[in-house]
Amino acid sequence: MTIAVERISSSPSGGGQGRGIVVERSVPMAGAVELVLNHPPSAAAIAPGQFFQLAVGAPHTILRRPYSAAWSDPAAGLIGFIFNVVGAGSAWLSARYEGQELDLLGPLGRGFDLEGERPVICVAGGLGVAVFPGVVQALIARGRTVIVLQGARTDSHLLPSNRFQGAEVRLATDDGSAGYRGSVVDLLGNLPPPLRGRVGEGGIDILTCGPTPMLTALIDAARRQEIPLSAIQVALETPMGCGIGTCLGCAAPRAGGGYLLTCQEGPCVRADRIEWSLMMDAFHG
Amino acid sequence: MPSMAERPDLTVDLGRGLHLRSPVMVASGTFGYGFDAPQVDRASLGAIVSKGTTLRPREGNAPIRIAETPSGMLNAIGLQNPGVDHVARVYAPAWATWDVPVIVNVAGDSVDEYVAVARRLDRVAGIAGLELNISCPNVQSGLQFGVDPALAAEVTRAVRATTDLPLIVKLTPNVTDIVAVARAVQDAGADAVSAINTYVGMAIDVRRRRPIISRASGGLSGPAIKPLALHAVWQVATEVRIPVIGVGGIMTPSDALEFLLAGAAAVQLGTVNYVRPQAAAEIHDGIAAYLVEHDLPDMRELPIRTASVLTHV
Repeated sequence: MTIAVERISSSPSGGGQGRGIVVERSVPMAGAVELVLNHPPSAAAIAPGQFFQLAVGAPHTILRRPYSAAWSDPAAGLIGFIFNVVGAGSAWLSARYEGQELDLLGPLGRGFDLEGERPVICVAGGLGVAVFPGVVQALIARGRTVIVLQGARTDSHLLPSNRFQGAEVRLATDDGSAGYRGSVVDLLGNLPPPLRGRVGEGGIDILTCGPTPMLTALIDAARRQEIPLSAIQVALETPMGCGIGTCLGCAAPRAGGGYLLTCQEGPCVRADRIEWSLMMDAFHG
Repeated sequence: MPSMAERPDLTVDLGRGLHLRSPVMVASGTFGYGFDAPQVDRASLGAIVSKGTTLRPREGNAPIRIAETPSGMLNAIGLQNPGVDHVARVYAPAWATWDVPVIVNVAGDSVDEYVAVARRLDRVAGIAGLELNISCPNVQSGLQFGVDPALAAEVTRAVRATTDLPLIVKLTPNVTDIVAVARAVQDAGADAVSAINTYVGMAIDVRRRRPIISRASGGLSGPAIKPLALHAVWQVATEVRIPVIGVGGIMTPSDALEFLLAGAAAVQLGTVNYVRPQAAAEIHDGIAAYLVEHDLPDMRELPIRTASVLTHV
């Protein structure tokens, strides 16, 4: 029996605690806020896909909020976060302005595995796109071919495509106001010809982040197209307590039984590690 | 910060040879088995209390396991743990090399299970003591050990007969009379009690129209329960002879001092470990500074004398 807490060696969650200064606040797309923090140690330490626990000062809140870094610029000491306002904590964060301090703990967890030569398709649903600017930049820097498939409710909810320099961006919206009308997952079945033939042969890597229904639809599509789930990496989003492996609160169903901890084995995990049949009921039903 | 010359004595004697260098402990379930959370400064800790440990490995509950509530959080982890054999074989040898004692929190479904876990940990190097978690469902009777003084005494007595390790019993607040349970486990051989475990509570997702926690209910912790925990400690400390360890929503040095003034010999930090890794060090230093400020050499004079309080009301 494999249990997450059996691990005895030091966890990946060795990130430090620090205070970053907000140097820029903007609205990159409808309903979302982007904060740019100056915190050189974090900007230097983060790997694409890792997250931070941000302390929030909203009344009666207590836990930190986990957010993947959207991007980092180690030379400038900057790190960006893109999030939408869903509750008291994110509302408080969204009201931080230039010159204010934020208490951050991280980087935490495991990022995406960016090694390899194969073309990469990034599938982003809704706010899941927030993790990808830095990921795409790192992939392009490694010389990999990158296609970004981004889906959102409407045109105004899309992160502008110029945030993915060097990648081909394809869009889907629920209302058809930009790109394909329908699910971003459908775009996977309509890739440009050079890639289309490689999809079913494990000739591509897929990195994805988005709402649970989108992720499960993507897994279903992958199975239909005979894409091995080991070629798909998912940035998981689960409720989280500590972010450092002690509260055991961020469980996700593990393939083969039991649970893995999003903050320790994730947030970025290969899709074959997850028991997808249990995901919808756990997090969305 | 007190100078070396006037550094007060922060040591605690929990009985049966369990001496702590600091009154600040970390509560079970909030610090794993001590191998995670490298951000926390171990030097300020008097002891680490491990995750609840059962005879066999447990996978824990299905997600969602936690929910934030006003000034608190609910959890229903489901005793996810690797089982006592793994703890004794793999973790204890590492603990034996640490300078902070590790107390194993013991959970079970039956008296036999508690006894079996205690037996496996008895005389194992690296195990400084046991903390009995008696607020888990008793599958045999459908009751909880911790809500019935007789059952609480039975499991305490059985474990006491199994091992000479220092034995702490962690009391549940989900009872009518916590003092009765405290007295019962004292008389059954407990060396100390920790008060309290979490309060049972729940939260509902109105959009999904279902409880947020997959098991519907969970244990409430955090500042929301601090006044309740403080009152429980006050009641218990007044009525038992053995040391009381105060637990429940402690976030600051002032919070910890409230528990010490209420009669606790030591405190455990729980939810705050998730939020401010530096809390243990701050609270340790804050207690020391308070003793210096009040010209107290140690913590023995801290508990408020009940009689003097009563004469003032």
